[in-house]
Amino acid sequence: MKKTIITLTILFTFGFLAFGQVTDPLISKCAINAGTNAKYLKDFRIQLGKAATRSELRYKANMSLWKNTKYRFTMCNAENSNGQLILAIKDDTNKLILSSFDKKTGKIFSFVDFECQKSGIYQISYDFTNGQQGSGVGVVSMIK
Amino acid sequence: MKGRVFLFLIIVFFGFSCRNSKSKTSEFVFPQSDSIPVSEVEKLSPEAIADISKNISSPVEIANLLQTLQVPFSQNYLAASIDANRQGTNFDKALKLGILGADLGYLNMYEKTGSSLDVLSSIRKIAEDIKVGQFFDFESIKRLSKNKSNLDSLLFISIDSYSKIDNYLRANNRGQLSALMIIGVWIEGQYLATQVVNVYPDKMLSDRIGEQKIILNDLLLLISPYCKRDPEFISLCKDMQAIKEKYRDIRITYTLGDPVSVEKNGGLTIKQTETSVVTMSKEQLNSVIEITKNIRDKLILNN
Repeated sequence: MKKTIITLTILFTFGFLAFGQVTDPLISKCAINAGTNAKYLKDFRIQLGKAATRSELRYKANMSLWKNTKYRFTMCNAENSNGQLILAIKDDTNKLILSSFDKKTGKIFSFVDFECQKSGIYQISYDFTNGQQGSGVGVVSMIK
Repeated sequence: MKGRVFLFLIIVFFGFSCRNSKSKTSEFVFPQSDSIPVSEVEKLSPEAIADISKNISSPVEIANLLQTLQVPFSQNYLAASIDANRQGTNFDKALKLGILGADLGYLNMYEKTGSSLDVLSSIRKIAEDIKVGQFFDFESIKRLSKNKSNLDSLLFISIDSYSKIDNYLRANNRGQLSALMIIGVWIEGQYLATQVVNVYPDKMLSDRIGEQKIILNDLLLLISPYCKRDPEFISLCKDMQAIKEKYRDIRITYTLGDPVSVEKNGGLTIKQTETSVVTMSKEQLNSVIEITKNIRDKLILNN
């Protein structure tokens, strides 16, 4: 157990240093949070003010996702965020495929794994809980 | 009364024209028109263009699939003949920057760091030639390449460097170079997949090749504004249209289903039950393999 903790600490420290030298700390943190088995694909930097009205998630981007690939969507918040970063993905027919926010329980997941079985162009949406002001990063990785 | 009829006709017209063909047929089809009118392209906002360019799949995903299928690495797939010192025009340079970027992704995924240093030198030279060298963090990539434990950082910085170049080119009215770079990345990724499937026939890989039909139109949309610019672009657009033609009769259909969610280790896993199904004959695949090879070889030999 002690050995595992030491190994994890070393991996985390060196991983952070390696990332930290090349990019901003929030992306480093978020990419490391994705896990050692995750291979980085892209990141989305989200900065939003307080929403005037609460409707759909405000930050939108398209991304092609491919069948037989397991993706991990990791969300990280900057310290000065009022809200927590949440994610929703819709397919090209506007059907909701996943959400990191469970409306029934109010639970927010910091990462969501998606086992894609339908290749296509998906709409990735981010926002902060209750349309609050916030700053954060969404990292997309592939996992085995 | 006349007004109501007019309103009705407008609603009917837009109701039909906005309907996605896929929802009717549950099949992916190319838009009716064979070419995208320039007016349509001009209507695209810079954000929409940025969205399309970011949306094109990463060559890292193809390399990842090859690893999953336990396909061994081969140096033969790389565009070794590209001589960074012999690229005459900016067209050649931007295209080669894309091709080499895809090779770098392949090398990184297989942790072939020795070979990646040669590719990196070529990338650096070409990037500097088209005045985007400042966005390519050569030293960090080189350092990370030597340390195999930092694969994720290496992938990040390589992909991030290309994203920065892409953003800069588009923001500085050099969108044609950005489009070429993206086409180069795609062509090389497609070449890699088609060459491998030739030697290691695998349904998952041939499906991925067939599924490229989904993004072909976006690729054409990216270069369409430049298709009459000069002979090099005219030729490239013709080649891309020829690839599109080979894909026309490859079918992508969909089966319906609702996603299944499972909570595990503090995270959420969503398993999609809806599937895409590629129907592609051996002949169709062979013709995609052939045209990809011909075009890619022509592009890399055009020094």
